[in-house]
Amino acid sequence: MAEGSGGDVSEFLSQNPHLAQWVESLKEHNETNKQWLARREFVLRNREVFPTIRPGTTNHSLDRLLSMSKVWANHVFLGCRYPQPVMDKVNEMAEGITVNEADKCVHKTRGEIVGKGKRPAVSVSDGESCSKKSKTGPSDTDGKAVERNSGRPVAAPVKSGPSPGAPAEHQPFFNRLYKAVAWKLVSAGGFGPNLDHFEILRTCVESCKASVSCVFVPLKDIPDLPAGCTQKEGQVCELRCQTVYMGTGYGRDECAARAMASKEALKIFQGRKVTVKLSRRRFRGQDVEDLVLLDEQPRRSTLPPALSYPFQGDQ
Amino acid sequence: MGVPAFFRWLSRKYPSIIVNCVEEKSKECNGVRIPIDTSKPNPNEVEFDNLYLDMNGIIHPCTHPEDKPAPKNEDEMMVAIFEYIDRLFNIVRPRRVLYMAIDGVAPRAKMNQQRSRRFRASKEAVELADEKQRMREDIFQRGGYLPPEEIKERFDSNCITPGTEFMDNLAKCLRYYIADRLTNDPGWRNITVFLSDASVPGEGEHKIMDFIRRQRAQPNHDPNTHHCLCGADADLIMLGLATHEPNFTIIREEFKPNKPRPCALCGQIGHELKDCQGVAREKRGEHDEFADTIPTSEQEFIFLRLSVLREYLERELTMASLPFPFNFERSVDDWVFMCFFVGNDFLPHLPSLEIREGAIDRLVSIYKDVVHKTGGYLTENGFVNLERVELIMQAVGVAEDNIFKKRKDDEENFKKRMKEKKKRLKAEQGPAFLLGGQFAPQALGGRDRPIPVQNARHTAFDMRMEGNRYQQNKNAAESLRATLRNGSKAPAGPSDGMDNRGLKRKAEDSDSEPEPEDNVRLWEDGWKQRYYKNKFDVDETDEEFRKKVVKSYVEGLCWVLRYYYQGCASWKWYFPFHYAPFASDFKDIKDMFKDFEKGTMPFKPLEQLMGVFPAASGNFLPTTWRALMTDPDSSIIDFYPDDFAIDLNGKKYAWQGVALLPFVDERRLRAALTKVYPDLTTEEGRRNSLGSDVVFVGKSHPLCDFIIELYRSESCEGTEIPPELCHGIQGTLNLDEEPILPDKPVESPVPLLRDIPCSSAVGIKFKDPQFEERHVFKAVVLPGAKMPNKVLKPGDWHRSNSGPWKPQLGFNPNRQQVHLDQSAFRTLGHHVNSHQQGSGQHNQPRIGQHVGGQYSNAPPPSVYHQGNYRPPLRKDPPPFQHSRQHGFPRAPPPSHQQQYPRPQRGGHGGHGWDRAMQAQGTAYQHNVQRGHGGQGSYHQQPPRRDDRRPQEGYNSGRGYALPPPTRRYNWSS
Repeated sequence: MAEGSGGDVSEFLSQNPHLAQWVESLKEHNETNKQWLARREFVLRNREVFPTIRPGTTNHSLDRLLSMSKVWANHVFLGCRYPQPVMDKVNEMAEGITVNEADKCVHKTRGEIVGKGKRPAVSVSDGESCSKKSKTGPSDTDGKAVERNSGRPVAAPVKSGPSPGAPAEHQPFFNRLYKAVAWKLVSAGGFGPNLDHFEILRTCVESCKASVSCVFVPLKDIPDLPAGCTQKEGQVCELRCQTVYMGTGYGRDECAARAMASKEALKIFQGRKVTVKLSRRRFRGQDVEDLVLLDEQPRRSTLPPALSYPFQGDQ
Repeated sequence: MGVPAFFRWLSRKYPSIIVNCVEEKSKECNGVRIPIDTSKPNPNEVEFDNLYLDMNGIIHPCTHPEDKPAPKNEDEMMVAIFEYIDRLFNIVRPRRVLYMAIDGVAPRAKMNQQRSRRFRASKEAVELADEKQRMREDIFQRGGYLPPEEIKERFDSNCITPGTEFMDNLAKCLRYYIADRLTNDPGWRNITVFLSDASVPGEGEHKIMDFIRRQRAQPNHDPNTHHCLCGADADLIMLGLATHEPNFTIIREEFKPNKPRPCALCGQIGHELKDCQGVAREKRGEHDEFADTIPTSEQEFIFLRLSVLREYLERELTMASLPFPFNFERSVDDWVFMCFFVGNDFLPHLPSLEIREGAIDRLVSIYKDVVHKTGGYLTENGFVNLERVELIMQAVGVAEDNIFKKRKDDEENFKKRMKEKKKRLKAEQGPAFLLGGQFAPQALGGRDRPIPVQNARHTAFDMRMEGNRYQQNKNAAESLRATLRNGSKAPAGPSDGMDNRGLKRKAEDSDSEPEPEDNVRLWEDGWKQRYYKNKFDVDETDEEFRKKVVKSYVEGLCWVLRYYYQGCASWKWYFPFHYAPFASDFKDIKDMFKDFEKGTMPFKPLEQLMGVFPAASGNFLPTTWRALMTDPDSSIIDFYPDDFAIDLNGKKYAWQGVALLPFVDERRLRAALTKVYPDLTTEEGRRNSLGSDVVFVGKSHPLCDFIIELYRSESCEGTEIPPELCHGIQGTLNLDEEPILPDKPVESPVPLLRDIPCSSAVGIKFKDPQFEERHVFKAVVLPGAKMPNKVLKPGDWHRSNSGPWKPQLGFNPNRQQVHLDQSAFRTLGHHVNSHQQGSGQHNQPRIGQHVGGQYSNAPPPSVYHQGNYRPPLRKDPPPFQHSRQHGFPRAPPPSHQQQYPRPQRGGHGGHGWDRAMQAQGTAYQHNVQRGHGGQGSYHQQPPRRDDRRPQEGYNSGRGYALPPPTRRYNWSS
């Protein structure tokens, strides 16, 4: 409880002793003082909304007020979630009451715990569990670069996605890029392990008047790793170009991760052609439609989970 | 009690309490199933009087089984339940009473547990359906194949709650079932059947206890009744002990961990839902003839003998030089009480007492220390002496700090060990051990005489060390090579594999999965403060609040013990917190509890549904009632959160954690419901009312005529059962409004089953004997009760007096050991002869495979008795050759000899063989004797048993010494 409003409440009660006695009778046996003070404020503030409440008697409107106060207290202190209409109403009623962050419930809801493991999340833990650093490639010169990753991911459920026509839109660009990469690799002596893959990819993309965007996420912050994978250190890098996903790589640091991702991306260009396709993949515990670059070989394994998702919010 | 670990702990510590069930399987003849005659003697060589079924333990696995596909509709579920009961009846074969109790409305104290179970179940079901849908799409996209989705309604297991239509149906079906069996099954002919359905308030097992308790308290009770209670809950053990009946046995499904479960999508076994690939089913057997067989064995049952547990406890609890006379029965009650600290359905367990950490042993040793000081026992007849409890709690409190530290250490050590093990497993490319020493293979027929194995463990150790050395050599060589490659850089050590430092370390070899953060850190100083801050959100200084928690917990302990010994003291009381206090907080508790509120009433069934269901299960409720769960303007909307927090509380999985659900405010619930009560239809009104137990008997039961007479005279007052008609059972009979009457048809509620054209059963309402309110049920052994024979090896057993100790494996100490008759030996001899050329020794294990037993007709005590069993040593083994000649008159070829394992090996292998040989001679004699007199004795109906039959009949005098001819004969190597 913030002292400021708490002080107001006690002052108010000292001026209205008949109310004080009544409101004390509403305290529950198992309620801690702190929780009670907060709930008391909620009750007193909203008393006027239910004009039929008479101190000393119980009636339906009092029960409704009590119920609302409990909904609010359960949400704040116990970590319960209620259907949206109920939450909206309660939040409105609780406006102005301040509760210390530290006093709030620290436990995760069932959905969060379960969703983090092997099951699909019902409600995915938002930003706090996967704080994400976002950087665009070092040579972000081209203004056409479409990618913009907001520092904190939007917590809203992922609804928007790429339009069905998007693959066709992007295909011509990647045909050009395919040629550029092919020539570049020829001049570099063919695809091999000893190349600076990122440099090759970057110069090719830039020669096509676009830029590579890299998103780095520390491995430990990725929510839906396969159960067997328990490595904690290191960085994971995801490469996209014009919102199209090209590859993911892992390394001890960002540089190594980026190099690995570039290598993966260049592998796609080893085929006879590249195609942009819509594909389902995991993103923060949910399944989303993503734009991905593929070679013509049938993919054996599923795609790694996406680290960024440029098709929501501002797109 | 929701403590699965308790049973595991108990059966490990006291292995002899477990006896595997012998079950007679029904046979098929020309495609017709021959029903088993359960009026025949019990193949377990014991006769039970009363069988009690805690039906919820049957309903759940039958309606949503975990190891097989779920039944398609309600009818199939009912049939599954009937079959399950039949199976139990066949194993136990009660001779007097069958009591079926379905959970009714539970006391308020249980409500929060029920709430959290149902809220969780509802969420899990939705998640599973989602996941299934997603995987389905995924698999189809990848071109996989899945069997078409069966069109069936998702079964919401939450409907197994009193007040729902499902439960109402179930009660109807059970009435039909009882009428059918009483009419058609000879084993049921003289049984009195009690049905306590969901409309009777109280948890199933506690309704059963109430029945037993009240019967014991009336003078006509037979103190030597042999009770058998079916159910898997650990608290049945407590309840059974609390009755102080000398003959009490619990039957439950054998717990087999890690049973394979079929994939929820394609129904195949071998992978989980998330790994489903949607590939075509593999053929089972050459022509797919085993397609429908489940690879695991059928669920087996075990008996848990409480009389043996009492023997164990007597040894453990007996204290010499007490300042007061030692009373074993009282100390059992104290033991039961202390088990409640470790966990029960009504209170969270104390944070420092964890059953896996030997909490009960710790408590017992503290108890034995403290009881000298307390001057008496902790409890009496279910009433707690708080002063003495405080002493125990304080003693636990002293150790608390160390317990938490040790817990952390153990945890760390465990992690370390697992890591090491993983590493070792990875490193183990070479042999894990090298075969050497006495286990090294030796040529058959060589010159060396076979030597008995000596000190096998040591040899095994040597072999392992040898293997290690081999591994180390390899590592050393590798590191040397690496050193040469890397020049001067010295390797870290041979154990630190070189591949570990590569850039692309595989993800698997890092250790832990992401672990939940533990803010309380009980192992660090200041734990108490942090615990209260984190769990209760109060400061260390808030003494008052802490006292409140302790007071509630103390009330809880009193309530629970009273519940077990006297029945429900208050329907209203509950523990209003999510966590328990520390043992060290139990200070000055003497005056914290006086008595419970008198005259409380249970909820009505539909009211209780409102209290335990999440909004998602609202479809089981009338519309206007349901609206109270979702309407933002409802005055009880706060009871129904969508999602709720789970505090893992140091555990790993969500289902182990504490569900932080709000508690129900009874006043507000009732107030809100008064508004919607008028909306109930008459049918719903009927479902919402409290019902009564019903008793059924068949026509040949002496009570039958009495009941028929009551119906004829239409007496509307309750009538006492004359005790002599029903083995001394008493109670009040009231006419049933829709009775099942003899010679009337009973309509089948399940379309799959036929109507009974002319039932010979009669049913009437039954009420347990009533006692005045202040009556205290005494927790004592009744006068006239005869204690069963001891089973455990006496502490002062000397080999010299009576030879080696022979452990008792079944109920009967003088059990007839299995023998083969002559024709069996001929068959065997034939097979041995025909197989010996090619397969040699191999035919032995093959024979043994499908035979469970080690010379007994009970399956071997595989899981629970490990290491405990020793084959009886014969003092004087007869010459081998001789007995064989005796057994095989047709003289097998002499080259046979090496095939028999060497008798010196003592353990497995040879045993069955020469045993069988030896038994042959005696078996023959037995057969002869049997031919004279014994033969007929078990075909005839066992003599009608009257009440006060001498007890020893069960164990020795019943004269079913020889097994009935239909039995399986088990023997093995």
